[in-house]
Amino acid sequence: MEGITGDHLVRAAALLGAAISMGFGAIGAGLGEGYTGGKAVEAVGKRPDEAGVITRTMIIGQAITETTSIYALVVALILIFVV
Amino acid sequence: MTIVTMFCMLGAAIALGFGTLGCGIGEGLISGKAVEGLSRQPGASGKIVRLMIIGQAIAETGAIFSLVIGLYLLFQTPDATLPKAFALLGAGIAIGLGSIGSGVGTGLPAAAAVDGVSRNPEQADILTVHMIVGQAITQTPNVFALTICLVLTSITPDPGIVSIAAILGAALSIGLGTIGAGIGEGMVAQRANYAVGLDPRNFPIITRTMIIGQALTETVAIYCVVVSLILIFAV
Repeated sequence: MEGITGDHLVRAAALLGAAISMGFGAIGAGLGEGYTGGKAVEAVGKRPDEAGVITRTMIIGQAITETTSIYALVVALILIFVV
Repeated sequence: MTIVTMFCMLGAAIALGFGTLGCGIGEGLISGKAVEGLSRQPGASGKIVRLMIIGQAIAETGAIFSLVIGLYLLFQTPDATLPKAFALLGAGIAIGLGSIGSGVGTGLPAAAAVDGVSRNPEQADILTVHMIVGQAITQTPNVFALTICLVLTSITPDPGIVSIAAILGAALSIGLGTIGAGIGEGMVAQRANYAVGLDPRNFPIITRTMIIGQALTETVAIYCVVVSLILIFAV
């Protein structure tokens, strides 16, 4: 562990930061997409004839919820490869 | 007692402490619904208790993974190098945090299935099948965490603060990232089991919608696997 310079510390902090960004960033998106999917399945159970439109709305809703975790992924990749 | 043994013991404690947290909550939800159901339908106690035991056995998986990894860490030889010790600590963090989400998540569909059987005991067979499918998909984030954990136990990282940060980062990314996906997929499967319990004739379309919803929720966990693998192999 000898010879640790400032550059090493910055690189180590960036890698840990990438992990924290992706790890915490995924929690909310995962819970949110699960909530959307759960409500959609409940709705299909009540109105099976409308399954097409419900599934379409679910996929759009989940895709938009997904964007928050994509932000976390982009920040993580920037911290790994650019910093 | 070397510092390497200390890291292995810390890893085992994190694996068992966090790994059993989610599974305890999940299994408690199942038995809670079973007790509630028994007061509603005492005549169907056989079917309710059987479904409860199957559901709890599957919800237990994450805790068993954590136990196996925890025991493996406790019996490590103390002559490992310091970077290897950090990799083993990372393995404990990955499986410990990674079991929280799927532990709670696999409890949710089983609780809904037990509730459905207590309302209508004739649907026990279809609810058992649907519960197992939902739980199996909900378990996948935990399997991702186990994969990263096994990779971490087998690698020997370079010495130096950067590679140690990368190893601990890989463990934190997969461990924290699977919490949301595990609980989220469990929520989808829970609603699907409620819906099947209300009207079993809609079984095929509910299962299809459930699998699409769970697959989209899974993408979040896949991002975390990608970041973890980059941190382990590409840094």
